[in-house]
Amino acid sequence: MKYRLRHRTTYAYENAVSFARCVLRLTPRSSATQTVTESAITVTPEPSARLTRIGPFGAEIVTVTVDKPHKALVIEANSRIDVHVPPPGDPDASQPWEAVRSRALNTADLSPDGPASYLFATPRTPILPSITDYVRISFPPGRPIIAAVSELNNRINREFKYDPGATEVSTPVAQAFDARHGVCQDFAQIMIVGLRGLGLPVKYVSGYLRTIPPPGQARLEGADATHAWVAVWCGDETGWVGFDPTNAILAGNDHLVLAIGRDYADVAPIDGVILASGVQTLKVEVDVIPEDEPTPAHA
Amino acid sequence: MTTDRLSQWLANYRPLPGVPDELFDANGKPREQWMGFLREFAGYPDADSDGRFGMAARHIRDSGASYRVYGEETETSWPLDPLPLILDQPEWDQIVAGVTQRAELMEAVLRDIYGEGRLVSEGALPAAAITGSPDFLRAMRGVAPPAGRYLQLYAADLGRGPDGRWWVLDDRTQAPSGAGYALENRLVVSRAYPNLYNTLNVHRLAPFFDALRRGLAATADRSEPRICLLTPGPFSQTYYEQAHLARYLGFLLVEGDDLVARDGKVYVRTIAGLKRADVILRRVDAEFLDPLELNAASRLGTPGMLEAIRTGGVTVLNMPGSGVLESRALMSFMPALCQRLLGEPLKLPNIATWWCGQANEQALVEDRFDNLAIAPAFPGSGPFAVPKLVADLSPQDKALLRQRLAERPGDFVGQEVAQLSTMPVLRNGQLQPAPFTLRVFAAVTPEGVRILPGGFCRISDQPDARVISMGEGSRTADVWVIDDKPVERLTLIAAGDDVKVRRILGHLPSRAADNLFWLGRYIERTEATLRLVRALCSSLMDSESSLHGRGQTFESLRAVLIDWGALDGATRPARALDSARDALHDANAWGSVTYLVRAAKRTASGMRERLSADFWGLLVDLEGDLAGGANEIHSEAQALEQVENALRHLAGLSGLTQENMNRVAGWRFLDMGRRIERGANTCQLARTLAHDAATIDDLDLLLDLNDSQITYRARYIVGLALTAVRDLVMLDPYNTRSVAFQIAALKDHLSVLPTLQEDGILEEPSRVLLPLAAELETQDAATLHADKVLAYERTIMRLSNAVADRYFLQGANAVPTVKLVGLA
Repeated sequence: MKYRLRHRTTYAYENAVSFARCVLRLTPRSSATQTVTESAITVTPEPSARLTRIGPFGAEIVTVTVDKPHKALVIEANSRIDVHVPPPGDPDASQPWEAVRSRALNTADLSPDGPASYLFATPRTPILPSITDYVRISFPPGRPIIAAVSELNNRINREFKYDPGATEVSTPVAQAFDARHGVCQDFAQIMIVGLRGLGLPVKYVSGYLRTIPPPGQARLEGADATHAWVAVWCGDETGWVGFDPTNAILAGNDHLVLAIGRDYADVAPIDGVILASGVQTLKVEVDVIPEDEPTPAHA
Repeated sequence: MTTDRLSQWLANYRPLPGVPDELFDANGKPREQWMGFLREFAGYPDADSDGRFGMAARHIRDSGASYRVYGEETETSWPLDPLPLILDQPEWDQIVAGVTQRAELMEAVLRDIYGEGRLVSEGALPAAAITGSPDFLRAMRGVAPPAGRYLQLYAADLGRGPDGRWWVLDDRTQAPSGAGYALENRLVVSRAYPNLYNTLNVHRLAPFFDALRRGLAATADRSEPRICLLTPGPFSQTYYEQAHLARYLGFLLVEGDDLVARDGKVYVRTIAGLKRADVILRRVDAEFLDPLELNAASRLGTPGMLEAIRTGGVTVLNMPGSGVLESRALMSFMPALCQRLLGEPLKLPNIATWWCGQANEQALVEDRFDNLAIAPAFPGSGPFAVPKLVADLSPQDKALLRQRLAERPGDFVGQEVAQLSTMPVLRNGQLQPAPFTLRVFAAVTPEGVRILPGGFCRISDQPDARVISMGEGSRTADVWVIDDKPVERLTLIAAGDDVKVRRILGHLPSRAADNLFWLGRYIERTEATLRLVRALCSSLMDSESSLHGRGQTFESLRAVLIDWGALDGATRPARALDSARDALHDANAWGSVTYLVRAAKRTASGMRERLSADFWGLLVDLEGDLAGGANEIHSEAQALEQVENALRHLAGLSGLTQENMNRVAGWRFLDMGRRIERGANTCQLARTLAHDAATIDDLDLLLDLNDSQITYRARYIVGLALTAVRDLVMLDPYNTRSVAFQIAALKDHLSVLPTLQEDGILEEPSRVLLPLAAELETQDAATLHADKVLAYERTIMRLSNAVADRYFLQGANAVPTVKLVGLA
């Protein structure tokens, strides 16, 4: 499935900002499941310095410095992506989960594609016994890993309430877990914490989900959103498999991967510091446009 | 006497069964290097009392050497033992060889992990043994260290195991602490026993620190580089040590927001603008170094620091990420890694360690569970974040730990329970054995590894030698390495030809200017408040001569104290004595003398590396003057005694400032703080006591407070006249206490301080100050009414703000940074 992707972030400031330095994690990366054919980031006003490098998790990271006074900062990322997730294999044919655990601990792959970086607690995803206990129910000894994680994926979808107003980006995972509600990020974090509690390697995945407009209506411009899910390492053969607990599905051709990491801190699209005082406001517009789609309506 | 005492000590000394001892060898004979010390030591008449050592230890208190328990306001005094740990040359040579090798091994492992990664790809090291560490910085993989190496300072914690060999218990590769303490310990002990220290051939510490400094300087790309020691700040547990080291080595002590990263370089904010920082010796953990790329919540770092390291614009040592080697998980791999990377066996063994991330090791640990210590494989938090002896755990905890170990084996190591050797300590006049660990420091310089001939010895309070932590009330001891031949007497004196003479030590950092300015203001306010309290207790009380206006003057005085926050305006003490007591000691009043002295001390503690030990000592004394508290004050005379003592120590501080402080920018800011405070205070007192309806008592008091009685009496025989008093207190340029004198001094300071731009345009502080200076020169005392004085006072406060804006961190060159918000 081919897409055009637009991710536009606008910061508006009450008082002029004289200096800004931003780290942009807005360049999607090609992998076994997607091919990025084009990508570009434009920043307004024009940065005085711009550096590009490969980040700690394999994706391109752009650092920009803006040193002329400005009252608005606009960062727009545009790309074309071909998503080609292979059809899922037989879940019951996957490896027993304990075998995956010991294999991950002994991998000789230090790269961000190997499992070793995703086994341990992080500040946002600590090991929490209560969540491990919740997850353990789906993991009787010897169960094939994809079958076990799929069941967990469904349980979270069933037992947690999707509630966009209930949590924020900084809400601790324990709080969302105890209240049994949240949004995509909370569900992804709960899954990460629980699976890592059993010693399994799990990634936080940020990206976009294609939205299908109601029949007869055009997609609204800028109304798509960023999304988060997880990827679980299922052994050397199978590699990483994406699970989307918000929708109780495996990540497929509607899931566009922007960045991967251990938790949200590793994938935050923009981190920055500015020299300023006063209020700042933020607006994010996202368009996920299938290549065969006609021109969208205006929101 | 001497031999009696010594033989009694030795006779009563009982080494622990099955544990090696430093004083007695395996055959029960005392070792010669200890006997050489003890024979002399026992000869001191007061050897078994605290007298001699107590004096040296007091020096520590006076110089402020103490370590702060994190988050605690009061400082704990620093427990140093009188007896040093004594090691002979052959023993020391083994330690040197072992620690040198280990430092080289650490460097080689770091080079591989952050470089090619062959240890992992070729199976010598599981990837998870690295990624488990929060100090593994993925962002530093593939980045060439600007200095060409990862480590500048490495430390190994050693203990002597049951087999009599020295074992490595822990590696310190992030930012080892303790070298500064070792230095301070040496200062105290050598001061306590100068003869002993000089007759025994004790290795000196100075050459090591000289090598450390040269090693750092050599990494910069220009001569005379600016070297900074990056500290987490005064609330860090080892802040004093950092300040001490910075001062000793001549480095600039900076915090994260003193630094700015621009265009791939790092700069220090100074009163003359941004100045390049070439080399940074960091004591901030890597995770907090750069909020832009690492821990976004960090307040200790500098945004853009990592980028500057990547582009080679700044040298930061130890290289961020080197802390990854502090994981216990790696311990078990060290013997094989040493063989592989250095081609030789490890010279000092590790304490036996098994990382449970491997199936065989996990099985072994589960097998021997009850006989081992279980420790976290990586630094972290949680219920099993500190090493635990399984034997000591409750059945529930044991079961829980077993489950955790089964589910997340990679989080744990099993370690042999080590009994460390004991050394003699003096307790209640007797020698007794106590377990200890020894931290040995290696400076990795371009010329190779150098080892500090000494170290940081920590002594356990418990006879059980299995867990030691500074935080749990352990004590420390100096470490003497005794050579069999006379040692070279080296100091930090450099070879004459290498030194470029300079008279000014770089540009004053904005933070230091800020602290010095406020220290000046606090000291001056303290003095002024003390004078007010003295007036309350003395002149008013016995002024039998003045029959009129006494109540009014007293009320004016109280009003000023209330306005200054020294007294609570809501309560009405019945007597002047009660007011005096409150103004001195009410810790809740933000202007009481006690409060002000604490504020001064707190400000000073944020820049101890810039203040002499004498200066600090006087501040400590000043606090001591008030230590008796309010309970000791039952009469005016007792209050007066406290006030007079405090004023004497303040006079000492002033003298020290004038006579012993170099006339560089730092002194100017301290003095500017005092002048601004004194100028504003004097204005307030003048408009309160020398207004148009002032009484004789008012004027008399004003002269007292202004310390101008004698001058006035000498000039005027006629008695007190309003205009004459006003002129003396406000306008007289020859009176060192007049407002005009303060303004003239400030004008002098501003004219010498650096400007940001060479465009000839006056900077804001001068624009505020110069009109006031001109007005004071031309003003006539006869028409100097209260409203005019109030206007002067406000101008002085505006000047204070202008100085802050121009020179300090919150000033124009450093608007606070705000993080971009939101999930984008």
